[in-house]
Amino acid sequence: MARTKIVLAGEGGQGVQSIAKILVEAGYEAGKQVLYIPNFGVEQRGGVSIAFCQIADETIGEPRYSKGDIIIMLSDRAIDRCERYVSENSTVVYDTSVCTIKPECKCKNIIGIDANKIANEKLSARVFNIIILGVLLAATNVLELSDIKNAMEKALGKKFDAKPELRELNYKALEMGMNLVKEKAAL
Amino acid sequence: MVNKLIKEDTKMFLTGNEVLAYAANAAEADFMYGYPITPQNEIMHTWCKLLPKTEAGFLQTEDEISAGFSTLGGILAGKRAFTATAGPGNVIMQDAQSMAEMMRIPFVCAVMQRGGPSTATVIYAQQETRLTCYGGNGEGFRIVYSTAGHQDLYDYMIKAFNTAWKYRFPTYVLADGYQGKMREPVMLYDPASRGIKMVPVTPSLLGEGQIGIDRKSVHMRNTYNMEEELMEVLDSYQVDYDKMAEEVAEYEEYKAEDAEILIIAHGIVARSARTAVDELREKGIKAGLFRPITIRPLAVKPLRNAVSRAKQILFTESANGQLAQMVLEKLYGLTTPYSTLYKMGVGVTGDDLVEKVESMVKSPSVV
Repeated sequence: MARTKIVLAGEGGQGVQSIAKILVEAGYEAGKQVLYIPNFGVEQRGGVSIAFCQIADETIGEPRYSKGDIIIMLSDRAIDRCERYVSENSTVVYDTSVCTIKPECKCKNIIGIDANKIANEKLSARVFNIIILGVLLAATNVLELSDIKNAMEKALGKKFDAKPELRELNYKALEMGMNLVKEKAAL
Repeated sequence: MVNKLIKEDTKMFLTGNEVLAYAANAAEADFMYGYPITPQNEIMHTWCKLLPKTEAGFLQTEDEISAGFSTLGGILAGKRAFTATAGPGNVIMQDAQSMAEMMRIPFVCAVMQRGGPSTATVIYAQQETRLTCYGGNGEGFRIVYSTAGHQDLYDYMIKAFNTAWKYRFPTYVLADGYQGKMREPVMLYDPASRGIKMVPVTPSLLGEGQIGIDRKSVHMRNTYNMEEELMEVLDSYQVDYDKMAEEVAEYEEYKAEDAEILIIAHGIVARSARTAVDELREKGIKAGLFRPITIRPLAVKPLRNAVSRAKQILFTESANGQLAQMVLEKLYGLTTPYSTLYKMGVGVTGDDLVEKVESMVKSPSVV
C-alpha cells in the first residue's frame, strides 16, 4: 500500500501550515486519500509549528506516525523537535540559509537547500513557503504540478486575480523549489 | 425550523470542527451556545459562518459556566440546542452538565480533548475521558460517544441529538484536538436519506396557554429537601439508565474473533490500533482490536466475551489509563493478563503498538 508520510516543521509564521493545506487539498482533488494534522502551541508567532501530512492510495489508519518518509526542517528548533521522526528510510530536507545547525541523524538522504536566501535575493521573502512547497512536491513525487497549481488557485486565486503578477511570482517560486531538489538528487 | 444545508450526499474535505457544525445543522439543531477555547473554536466559527444560510441562532457567552447553563435554558425553551468545549472549559462547564443529569435535560456537547491538567497543551489528548463520563457532583448519568475520525464525527453528532432527546440524559461526542483540527475526506448526508428520523423537540417550559387553565404547571427540580426523596429519584434514574444502556451501547471489533492479543482502545487511538493490527497480522501475530464506541455506558457483554477469548490484553490511551480504569471494573472476575501503553497527552502511533505487542509476545504479561 503506497502511503507517503510527511513531517513539515518550522517556526510559527514561516507559512508551514499554509503550504500543508495546499498540499493536502491538491492530494484530495487528485483523488488520493489524505490526512493532515496541524500541530502548534498557543503562540500567534514563534514556537515550532509542525504539519503532519499523509497522502495515500488507500484508506489511512493511524493519524499520527512515529517516522516520516520526508521530513522538512526549517529552523534550528524544528531540527531539535523533529529528529525523532527520522528513520533510516527517511529523506531529510533542511534550510541551510535559516538553520545554524545540521540535522545529525541516520537517514537515507539529507538535502540542504537555501530556500530562504533564494526567496530574499531572487524573488520575495513572501514566497519562501511556496519554494518549500515546490521542494515538497519534488521530494514526495506523488502529485502532479497541475494538482498543486489548482490547489494554489483555490487558496490564493482571489489575490492572484487582484494582482496577476503574484501568480507568476508564486509559480516561479514553486518551480525553483522543485529544481532545488532535482539538482541535489542529481549530485 | 432551520434550513438544512446538506440535501444530498456531498463529499467534502473538512476539518473535524467544520464537520461537527455541518452535522448539527443536518440534525436540525437550531441554537448553539459557546465560549471559545482551542481546539474546538472552529465549531462555532463554522456554525456562525453558516448562520445566514441556516437561519439558526448563536450566543457567545461570557464563559463556559454560562455557555453550559444557557444551553440548558435554550433546551428548556424547546430549542434543539448544543454547545462544545474542551480542556479547562469542560471543567468549568461541569456544574451545568450535572444539572442536566439531575433535571433530565437533553444536553448535547462536543468535547475536543486537549492536553491536561490545567492549560497544558491546546493540541491533543484523551485526558477528558473520565471527566466527560463522570464529571460533576453526581453519578455520571451520561452517554458518551468516542469518535475515531470525521465520518464518526458526522454520524455520531447527528445520533447524539436523538439519543439525548429520546432518553433525556446528557449526551456527548467525545473527540480530540487531532480530530478537530485535522482534515480528511468525509461524506455528508441528509439523515432522512439514511432512514434517520430526528426525535421531535418539545419545550419543557414555556408551553402554549395559561398555566393551571390550559396546561399543568411544570416543576423541574434540582433541589430536594430530604435525603430519601433524592435517592428515590436517583434510583429511578439508575433504572432508566440501565435499561437505556442495553439499547445505546456500541462497540467495534477488528480482527478480534481469533485475536490472541487484544488491544483495547477508544477514539482516534483505536485507528492507530487498526494500522498496528494489520501490520502485526502480516508478521504472523494474531492481534485484534476492541473499540468501545460508547465509553459510557460500555458494551459490557461483548467486552467480556472478547477479553475472555484473548490470551493477553493491551490497554492503550493518550492518557494514563482513564478508559482502562472504567473497563477493568467491568472485567471483574476475568483473569486475562494485561499490559499498558499510555502516552499522556501524546498521540499513539501504529509503530508504538507494533513494538509493544511484539514485546508482549516475547515476554507475556502476568498481571
